[in-house]
Amino acid sequence: MSFELAPLSDALAKLLVEPATRGSKGAVVYRLMLGELPASRAISFAELILPKGFPEDGIARIRLPSDAELRVPHVERGGLLCIDGDPGPGRGLDGTQRVETLVGKFYTEFLDPWRNGDLDGDFAKEPQNYWGVNVARLRTNDDTAHRVWTVDEVPRKAQVREGLLINPGRLIIAGDGDNQFVQRLVASLGHRAKQRVRVIIADIPISYSFVPDTWPRSIDALLRLLRARLKPPDYRRFIEQILRRRRSREHRVALFRNHEGGFAFVLPGGPPIILQEGNRHRARRPHSNIQPLLVDRIDPMWTVGRDQIPQVSARQQKHVVVFGAGALGSPVVEQLAKAGIGKITLVDSDTIETANVGRHLLGAQYVNYGKAEAVANNVAQSYPSCIIKSYNGTAEDWLQSNTLKDVDTVLDLTGEPEVRWHLNEARQQHPCKLIIGWMEPFVAAAHVCMLTPETLWFASKASTQDRLNLLEAVDWPAEVIRQVPGCSSRFQAYTSVSAAYAVALVSENALRVVDGEVDSSKVLSWVRGRQFLDRQWPKLTYRDWATGAEQHVGVTLERPIV
Amino acid sequence: MAKTQKALFVEEAIKRRGGISVMAKSLTPAMEELGVNVFDSIQESATHRSIKREREPYAHALSLVNDHITVKKELIDEASASYNDIANRLATKLNWPLTAIKIFPQGSASTKTLIRTLGNLKFDIDAVCEVDISKIEAQDPMAFFEAIGTALDDLDTVAKRRCWTINVVDKPFYLEFTPSVPLTTVPLNVSGLNYSEQEFVSTALAVVDTPSENWKTSNPAGIRDWVNRASDRSIVRTPVLEAMDSVRASIEPVSTQSVEIEETLRVAIRLFKRHRDMCVHRGHLSEEEQPISIILVTLMTTCYEGLADLIDDGSRMPFVHVVDALIAMAELLPEMIPKFPDLGYYLVNPTVVDENFAERWNTDNGERAEAFRTWCGLLQADLASIAALKAPEKIMSKTLEVFGCTAAGGPNGGNGNNNPGPRVIPSPPSPAPRTSGLA
Repeated sequence: MSFELAPLSDALAKLLVEPATRGSKGAVVYRLMLGELPASRAISFAELILPKGFPEDGIARIRLPSDAELRVPHVERGGLLCIDGDPGPGRGLDGTQRVETLVGKFYTEFLDPWRNGDLDGDFAKEPQNYWGVNVARLRTNDDTAHRVWTVDEVPRKAQVREGLLINPGRLIIAGDGDNQFVQRLVASLGHRAKQRVRVIIADIPISYSFVPDTWPRSIDALLRLLRARLKPPDYRRFIEQILRRRRSREHRVALFRNHEGGFAFVLPGGPPIILQEGNRHRARRPHSNIQPLLVDRIDPMWTVGRDQIPQVSARQQKHVVVFGAGALGSPVVEQLAKAGIGKITLVDSDTIETANVGRHLLGAQYVNYGKAEAVANNVAQSYPSCIIKSYNGTAEDWLQSNTLKDVDTVLDLTGEPEVRWHLNEARQQHPCKLIIGWMEPFVAAAHVCMLTPETLWFASKASTQDRLNLLEAVDWPAEVIRQVPGCSSRFQAYTSVSAAYAVALVSENALRVVDGEVDSSKVLSWVRGRQFLDRQWPKLTYRDWATGAEQHVGVTLERPIV
Repeated sequence: MAKTQKALFVEEAIKRRGGISVMAKSLTPAMEELGVNVFDSIQESATHRSIKREREPYAHALSLVNDHITVKKELIDEASASYNDIANRLATKLNWPLTAIKIFPQGSASTKTLIRTLGNLKFDIDAVCEVDISKIEAQDPMAFFEAIGTALDDLDTVAKRRCWTINVVDKPFYLEFTPSVPLTTVPLNVSGLNYSEQEFVSTALAVVDTPSENWKTSNPAGIRDWVNRASDRSIVRTPVLEAMDSVRASIEPVSTQSVEIEETLRVAIRLFKRHRDMCVHRGHLSEEEQPISIILVTLMTTCYEGLADLIDDGSRMPFVHVVDALIAMAELLPEMIPKFPDLGYYLVNPTVVDENFAERWNTDNGERAEAFRTWCGLLQADLASIAALKAPEKIMSKTLEVFGCTAAGGPNGGNGNNNPGPRVIPSPPSPAPRTSGLA
């Protein structure tokens, strides 16, 4: 069904310039009446665009000429006006009503406020968006770089520092190559970071984000800004310093940032740009004007929680040791790294087998690799905010050659009694927080024990009773227990989907412990209901404390540990 | 005729500067005129007229900027109206007699130099709440400050160094509310300079300095009166005749919008404040280290009075055009901050004893002093770069760019007086509400 234009023409008489014309891709285009605008606010035209297939397919848009970009707020790259306009299909309006809504909003929410100066502050509401438009407008294939990654906090004072230009990624990391986080970041980039070139960066804090009226638009304006903010010796160093031997030109980058975002420029006069075209490398002259760059943060405060998780900076200083890199340990380690833990040591003596593939963090390409090392490498590559070391050996081996001194929290995710015993010994030497996490068969229940540094698992040398079994929710028949432990056995008690409940329970509470939010020893248990149990094994019985879970799909219960 | 203290101070500043730049026409020592009275000289008058003609497009552009940045009086009145509400609230909640509470504007709202903020940020309208402490129970400064905060506690308030900031919902301003008592009612240890002029001391106040938990001197009404007194004087040649000249000489019909001569000081303060704000938004200055408004007002008013004294006593000629006066003031500014071997930077509040507006310049490793010098350099360079242009349209676009008012150009830019004309906007039914999920 094609859209009838006559009712639209009637409804919007005196607002549309007749007749409609054909736009690209079969669109119908009307010019809109703009009335008189002051010279400094002139807009040469505005087009109503009804795409082919409207109203069933696509939504109506309004486009302004490209010279309105960055002069008039709410104009996207390509001139499309970004106002809340056509409500779209499925909202109870027909095509004519939808266009009426769009055109009405164009006048009342855009054109009139623009004429009156009420939109002048709107660039400042989304400065990074308009900066993106600016970067996109000036982007070419011969750009030295496309974006800057910052790795640390906004400096308090303007400073000159070194950074790395990463090729072929065309990415500038605003941090010194000696910085370990930068090194890990470069390692994470893999083939995108074949070449690293040292660059000079003027790193300047700004109080307000730039908008089109305030960002520097020429080399003169940029140098004037740099001179205003850098002390004379720093300015000279930024303009004149040569970092590399036998080179006469350096890449010089001006970076301006605040807590909302950043803006950067490559200065003209740098070394040629080497571009790979097929098998050939070609040198291109650098730009003769300043080239704007996008700026992204990749510091942990941003990557972990977009600045909304204040615990991250403390977590970055914490060392956590994890025993067990299996179905529970491997995804928990990943969660801890993602959550901003600064240092993890991962201990496991196993190798990944084919039977592990379905429920381990890592898949087929890691079969026959040591679990600890493979997980450590994999997680480190994805989350460079975490220093992660692996140890291919048993917990006992590791504890013989290492102590728990300076360790904040230990996670025992092995489920093995010997590990609990050896850890108990080590914690008597160096008390630290301990997490013991495990799953019952079929993941019918999962538990996380959180022990303060003062609480021992085995209260004394004399106690031989391991309390783990006592804490469980279900009395498991011997037949089940006999089948469970062997990962390589044919028996598959659960899949990764079920284990994810346990992973979440252990990870979330391990972080609470690391963050110092748990001040007494306790166990948290997630217990499934009767229906689930009955599907796994006939006539299983709950322990008394867990009977409350029976009628539910699943519940989480908390008990103190004395 | 003996020179006034301010005249001597400005004269010294001019000397340190090595004279006023050639860009600022006139203000040459009268002696250099070799006894010729320029007011009678036909030739001089012709030169002045040509300078005036040259300057007019610049003045026109600056006047557009001034119009654009000036906050409308109605808005300030609206803010002032809410003071009464606050006075009543204090009287009720604190059981103070209403007659003991006096609330009046201070800062740029009272000196008529309040300017529009960039990016539609809210602006501050400062008010002083003067409480006659003799009529209420005497209290220590912090208890007094806190009592007022408590009385305001159902408003959206934040305690600042010396005031309570009240966020007025749906209005483009904050109220900055400074509790104070008459200076005579509290004990004070005065250790700083006493250059205050007798004329202003009667309105002196004590405000609470919360970091030191003590009283500090202040005199907002005095500052207002001082700026008023200075504004009434002129440093530009024969304003009445020149103004008429300007109408005749002007290429564009600007007479009504041209910078009013009697407003020279206030216009200069607004323009310079706007320039400073632009420098902060452009990243040239950090917000923390930017020269604060009261420093600009004090320096410029001192400079203006000094220049007026020099002109009055005949040792300098008045400026040919208000633009030259602005350029000269910009050049003199960096020379106007006194630094003493023992006290460091000390910018006296001329209306009260012992208030140093540049107090923080002495404890920040010179960052503020340096930022001030940087800004003065940028201001001078910008004013000079506009003055170097010849074509009126270039002068206009450069001026609007420098002061960040590019959308203010044109016959009625930015005043909200534009009538879009008759237009029938369709009103279709509202669409069904959108539901959103989290991903």
